[in-house]
Amino acid sequence: MPEGVPQNSAFMIAAYVVTAVILVGYAVILYRRTLKP
Amino acid sequence: MKLLQTGRWITAVGLVLLAGVYVRALAFTPVERFQGPAQKIYYVHVPSAVVSMMAMGLVGLAGILFLLLKDQRFDRFGEASAEVGTAFSVVMLTTGPIWAKPIWGTWWTWDARLTLTLFLFLLFLGYLLLRGAVTDPGLRARYSAVLGICGLVLLPFIHLSVYLFRTLHPQPIVLKPSAPSLPGEMLVTLLVSFLVFVLLYVGFVMQRYALSLLREEAAHA
Repeated sequence: MPEGVPQNSAFMIAAYVVTAVILVGYAVILYRRTLKP
Repeated sequence: MKLLQTGRWITAVGLVLLAGVYVRALAFTPVERFQGPAQKIYYVHVPSAVVSMMAMGLVGLAGILFLLLKDQRFDRFGEASAEVGTAFSVVMLTTGPIWAKPIWGTWWTWDARLTLTLFLFLLFLGYLLLRGAVTDPGLRARYSAVLGICGLVLLPFIHLSVYLFRTLHPQPIVLKPSAPSLPGEMLVTLLVSFLVFVLLYVGFVMQRYALSLLREEAAHA
């Protein structure tokens, strides 16, 4: 990474993980709900 | 049910493509010099915000059409869109503060844009709570339609809040009258991500709509 660029990758990773957890989690919940309506 | 199966497939394809968006954003899109890697949160935060607003807009339109035509399909669609919109607004409201902390130095500030988007999330929640609380199907559909229309009215205020009020939130750099002020590679990543989020919205709504149909069939059986 070029010099002088802020080192804040942890925040980026956290945001991407949170997004994946919410969207995949909702997909799984929806799938399970449609199996037993 | 064909609608349910199609919705499941679209969702599965959307989730695979979401992984592709992650690869493109993390490995093949340049790092912004002043914000650093945290700027890449933009590629999930902005599409989730736009899809949340689109979902509420469609809930409102479905509400108008329901009140005009008394067609249950619009009520069912409104319910599906509101639930899916809630999920996307949770993404918006979690990724926003995660970006804000390293860039602004604070997780949250009560400025107009942030407060109005929180209000949008609360409207989604209120809509779902209302549907759970009213047992009469006719009344439930009418009350929900009116609340959905209130949400639709809120949307222009959210979009214009960065122009109308002093706010920390960045102004639109794509959805504005002039050309997008974003380098080509970043713009492509954002647009691809937006299309994938829309695809996921479609897959989720189809499944949620099918779930309502299955519940109605079970209730009448």
